[in-house]
Amino acid sequence: MTFFTVVVRGLIRRPVRTGLTLLGISIGIGAVVTLVGMSWGYEKSIGKQLDVIGIDVVVSNMSGGLMPKVFDDTLQDKVAALPKVADTTTVLMLMLSIEDAPMMMVSGREWGGFTWEKLEVLEGRLPKDDKEFAVVLGKLAAEVLKKKVGDTVQIEADELPVVGIVDGHAVVENGAVILSLSVLQEISSNQGKVNFIDVRVPEGTSEKEVVELCETVNGMFPEGRAKLASEVVGTSQGYRLARAMSWSTSLLAIIVGVLGVMNTMLMTVFERTHEIGILLAVGWKRRRILYMVLCESALLGFLGGVTGVGLGALGLKILEYTPAIRGLLEPDLSPKLLLTSVAIAVVVGVVSGLYPGWRSSRLSPSRALNL
Amino acid sequence: MNEASKGVGSVVYEARGLKKNYDGGQVAALRGVDFDIREGEFVAIVGPSGCGKSTLLQMLGSLDKPSEGSLSYRGRLISDLEDPSDYRSAEIGFIFQSFHLLPTFTVSENVQIPMFETGLSRGEREVRAHELLESVGLAHRLKHFPSELSGGERQRVAIARSLANRPSVLLADEPTGNLDSENAAHVVELLLKLHRELGMTMVLVTHDLGIAALATRTIRMKDGRVVDETTPLTHAS
Ligand SMILES: Nc1ncnc2c1ncn2[C@@H]1O[C@H](COP(=O)(O)OP(=O)(O)OP(=O)(O)O)[C@@H](O)[C@H]1O
Ligand SMILES: [Mg+2]
Repeated sequence: MTFFTVVVRGLIRRPVRTGLTLLGISIGIGAVVTLVGMSWGYEKSIGKQLDVIGIDVVVSNMSGGLMPKVFDDTLQDKVAALPKVADTTTVLMLMLSIEDAPMMMVSGREWGGFTWEKLEVLEGRLPKDDKEFAVVLGKLAAEVLKKKVGDTVQIEADELPVVGIVDGHAVVENGAVILSLSVLQEISSNQGKVNFIDVRVPEGTSEKEVVELCETVNGMFPEGRAKLASEVVGTSQGYRLARAMSWSTSLLAIIVGVLGVMNTMLMTVFERTHEIGILLAVGWKRRRILYMVLCESALLGFLGGVTGVGLGALGLKILEYTPAIRGLLEPDLSPKLLLTSVAIAVVVGVVSGLYPGWRSSRLSPSRALNL
Repeated sequence: MNEASKGVGSVVYEARGLKKNYDGGQVAALRGVDFDIREGEFVAIVGPSGCGKSTLLQMLGSLDKPSEGSLSYRGRLISDLEDPSDYRSAEIGFIFQSFHLLPTFTVSENVQIPMFETGLSRGEREVRAHELLESVGLAHRLKHFPSELSGGERQRVAIARSLANRPSVLLADEPTGNLDSENAAHVVELLLKLHRELGMTMVLVTHDLGIAALATRTIRMKDGRVVDETTPLTHAS
């Protein structure tokens, strides 16, 4: 028999209670994994999109809801004239409810801009010119909307024919409805307005030079923000909100977890007062009893964490295939997230065991034995 | 003198003016107790119910602290011990009337429990537990749980456990109190054997005068005081 046997024996003596506590922790950790996995996934998906298209700097407005506010597209020429700018293109990106899908990315792209370059046509074709009243669908968007080439898609008040299905090589691209900028400006009454200027810098530009470029743009455009592509996601308002929500919900889940484990461990300690008295009488040190209680609660946390990660991974998989979310993001199921979550669960266990452990180690042996 | 002073060894316990109050002084369980117990003695403590026998034994085992007076073990005040668990672990073995075995551990595991405080490896702990259980005649019940054993068997497991860390003193509080006469006899026989063969110092609380008569000395208590110390005839001869 090892000390670990003692710890395990403490847990399996009340299988129902241990099981319920485990269930509680695993639901909590499952929620953490799902929510944080979503927000990390969002970040990763956007980052991948920028990377695939080859965007180095994004200029957008600081404020706005899910998408930044629009601004005049005249800024583009000023940005294009700056040194260390190889190419620029403007985008009007809107989050719209389209038919049955509650939220879809609708991306109006300047005709001829480099944002069209990486779109691989799977079926049909791209729009003929900047005036053609038509859209192409990312392959996920086509699936979500259940549309084929030749169908029409209703955006705001207009019916637009689907002329092509494309693969954009990033989830966010594939989940989008893509059309010519001027057409989207027209149907959404945003004439002359965009909300992103995507910038490419010449090859071999140092990071320092890119940062300087951003500062110059910020000087010209006080209410705007030029960001390195690598920083874009973290500063988007919608993302910040989502991240804050996922962490606060996670915090709540963690607090509930701590209370659950603490309750279980306190009950265990009360119930086992007599046995703890025996352990003290046969010479166990108080430290060892504290350690036993802490190990039990850490083990509870660990097991709950492992099952919770399983639950969370399942939840993320389900969400990934939920029509409402499909194509907006690719949930992040990285080992980092899974390990962090298990670590959080173990910390929850240890923290919740501190008070019960302290109480049990302070019992007077004679009192405990006479119960 | 005669055999009665067989406790020629050094003083193991020395109690002076030992008092214990409970409930903020409302209950005086010990009202000033003095005695010496020497190496190798087998001391029986007898007296009516409520006279403070168990309380005294708890003081000896450092399970509780005296309210007044001094109690020393081999010249050191028990109240001065930095960590009484070291003393309990290394120096004494406890045997209780109601056995106090851990119900969720097997017989062998119960005997191994005290050994966690020693440097023994897992294998050594197991071997030692099996040897001890064999010596109390329970080698065939290693994997059983306490609830599957008779009272006599449980007490023998408790005796094996009390010996786990090779203590020099055994403290037993009515070890036969819950046993029928046959099982009681078996347990007493075991204790006597330990006393005889290992020269262990023993302090045994009992209501059974027949058992007390086997001791090298009897301390008689009443109302929290020692009223008489006798040396049974069997040892005087
Ligand atoms: N934890 C306690 N709190 C309050 N009073 C106590 C406590 N423990 C013992 N007492 C009281 O102290 C006195 C001595 O008790 P103790 O258990 O030592 O008696 P005893 O001689 O062992 O009796 P018995 O033969 O019935 O076991 C009793 O009056 C008892 O009620
Ligand atoms: Mg008693």
